[in-house]
Amino acid sequence: MSKILATGARAALSGARSNASITKAARPVMVAATKTTNQKRNHSACCGPNLRSYATVSDANSAQQQNLSFVLEKQGKVKFEDRPIPKLTSPYDVLVNVRWTGICGSDVHYWQHGAIGDFVVRAPMVLGHESSGTVTEVGDKVTSVKVGDRVAMEPGIPCRRCPRCKEGMYNLCVDMRFAATPPIDGTLAKYYVLPEDFAYKLPENMSFEEGALMEPLSVGVHINKQAGTKNGSTVVIFGAGPVDINQERLDFAKKYAATHTIVSKKQSAAETAAQIIKECEIVEGADIVMDATGAEPCIQAGIHVLRAGGTYVQGGMGKPDIMFPIGAAGAKELNIKGSFRYNAHDYETAIGLVTSGRVNVKELVSKKVKFTDAEEAFEDVAASRGIKILIEGVPDQRASASA
Amino acid sequence: MTDQNDNNPSFVLRAVKDVAFEDRPVPALRDGHDVRVHVAQTGICGSDVSSKAPSMKCTLDKTELAQVHYWQKGRIGDFILNSPIVLGHESSGTVVEIGDAVRNVKVGDRVAIEPGVPCRRCNHCREGAYNLCPDTIFAATPPWDGTLSKYYVVASDYTYPIAEHMTMEEGALVEPVAVAVQITKVADLRANLTVVVFGCGPIGVLCQAVAKAYGAAKVIGIDVVQSRLDFAKSFAADGVFMAPKPKPGVDPVEHSEKVAALIKKEFNLGEGPDVVLECTGAEACIQAGVFVAKKGGTYVQAGMGKENVVFPITTACIRALHIKGSIRYTTGCYPAAVDLVASGKIDVKRLITNRFKFEQAEEAFELVKASRPDVLKVIIEGAV
Repeated sequence: MSKILATGARAALSGARSNASITKAARPVMVAATKTTNQKRNHSACCGPNLRSYATVSDANSAQQQNLSFVLEKQGKVKFEDRPIPKLTSPYDVLVNVRWTGICGSDVHYWQHGAIGDFVVRAPMVLGHESSGTVTEVGDKVTSVKVGDRVAMEPGIPCRRCPRCKEGMYNLCVDMRFAATPPIDGTLAKYYVLPEDFAYKLPENMSFEEGALMEPLSVGVHINKQAGTKNGSTVVIFGAGPVDINQERLDFAKKYAATHTIVSKKQSAAETAAQIIKECEIVEGADIVMDATGAEPCIQAGIHVLRAGGTYVQGGMGKPDIMFPIGAAGAKELNIKGSFRYNAHDYETAIGLVTSGRVNVKELVSKKVKFTDAEEAFEDVAASRGIKILIEGVPDQRASASA
Repeated sequence: MTDQNDNNPSFVLRAVKDVAFEDRPVPALRDGHDVRVHVAQTGICGSDVSSKAPSMKCTLDKTELAQVHYWQKGRIGDFILNSPIVLGHESSGTVVEIGDAVRNVKVGDRVAIEPGVPCRRCNHCREGAYNLCPDTIFAATPPWDGTLSKYYVVASDYTYPIAEHMTMEEGALVEPVAVAVQITKVADLRANLTVVVFGCGPIGVLCQAVAKAYGAAKVIGIDVVQSRLDFAKSFAADGVFMAPKPKPGVDPVEHSEKVAALIKKEFNLGEGPDVVLECTGAEACIQAGVFVAKKGGTYVQAGMGKENVVFPITTACIRALHIKGSIRYTTGCYPAAVDLVASGKIDVKRLITNRFKFEQAEEAFELVKASRPDVLKVIIEGAV
């Protein structure tokens, strides 16, 4: 019997992916970290509701615009703007009318802080990168999709020439052009251009909304690939949401893919690990730990909850430098890896998991808003309301209307 | 930029057994990532290509085999020569023109050329196995021209600057070293393992040399030609073995099993070597290779001979062997090969047995076809 412990949207998807790969009934266990004195609130004070009026554009106006776009003008300020319809850059490109876009913590972070690490918003940039849409134009050499096809969009285009690309680690490409990572425009626009091998046809039984969830699911797939999750694995996934325990998320996790949910107390990381091992009846320690929080206490507990020889994968991003239990890591001969975005076959695997019914992503969608209500949706995400909020695209009248 | 009066003499295979020199247009850069190289040296393999050779053959890169085959027969399997192609694919040269997006080389740089550029977009390319890309543009594989021209245009990331103290001849030998690097990569060769290499032609001896450079504890070379064995012993192998011929009436598979036992005994390989590199494609070697490997060992098929052979499948199964194929090269092979030569770990100059001027290219190919045992690596100077 395998166990998986997880919480949070990304964590849930990692958990679901782990769960789906195990043929025997195996359910994950969710862990939420408590607030500790070390934790700081991640979000600035500006994100309270009702303190501002939202950027918007009227329906009449938006219909006349050729490529209405949701733009981060600078830190803290978004606006709607009409931009030229992007042109195909090569005969292998396709033009997509974006239909649904999910919001990620990184989009919110650029909005609130104007930067993530060395990536700084220096000029207005279209937000968004978790999208699906309809192909409206194809380059001369495109063979894998045609006009009218519904696709999930992989938003990072590598150079294809550097050693990382050529060894199959294109997510680590030095010249990666990633939607909504400055200075590259994102997908919250009516149209978006990408190469055909980054547009994946959606099966008949998948909706555009599910298509937009393929991006975060692919992140979960990739984390599992790094972890080497297999049949019979015991997996602990840390997802913490906001500072306070988010009971809503824990309840969701329990119904979604977890075997157990754990709310840890204010205690040392070793004690948290012991609590998890005891309450979830794991004998030696977990085989695999995935961290989807970036939070120091979770990372520490994660190292302690692993059995000797286990594997730890860092997916979440928080403080760049933390206090890390290096002694335990060495003495237990742990395999410690990072996981960043996704690469070859991850999107196909994600689609396969959903189309076959093994992973259900519809349940993660807590709210859907119109394109012109995008800013309000960003506020919700910043305040950790719900799990995944989707923003509807601006439809192209020529594109297929099937959803 | 090109001088309008510049010529581009090329060695062309026009039809079966019909080669000629032609002045082709100087090739233009196709996009900002291309470079044009003035080819300095091109190697071709001096191994046996005829089917009447005895069981143990030296390995022959498929493209060389292809080229000699195209020349003699006009086809290899499905690849039929429909229009003339320039031959050659193991080259070095000087960069004379670069596209505006090129960063890794500049005009004047001396480079080794990797002759197969993949599509970069298919699943094989995206997952890091670009040697398997079905849309690879590979020099001298129809319909793509090879490098036996004055000039050759290629994507810049498929050219690798060679150290100042390396000669252009050594630069041309980087290609077969890269093949050997890929074979050892597929074998997951690590320090202190024992390795048996079937074949002491260029690829075989280079595999032996790469294995030693990578810390193998013991490397044994197998062949049927004494001069090849002598060379291998002087080059990198710790020991060499002359495979005996089967007595008349003896079942060939039984004989291969006996040969394997003899190899293990003579070189104190115990249960068998950790790794077997099969660089001949000969049926008897393939069989002996499977029999000689230790339980749980790794067997890599690099040599190409008969397409279908009698294979000891039950032995492979019950001994849980890891059996893999190796073809061409992948990321990192060329840089590793350049380093192995530049650092002096592999003295590739010693493989060169025959040198020809550009105008003598046909003679060079005739020498290849003659498959004399004293001919190892044949090299053709570029057109001036």
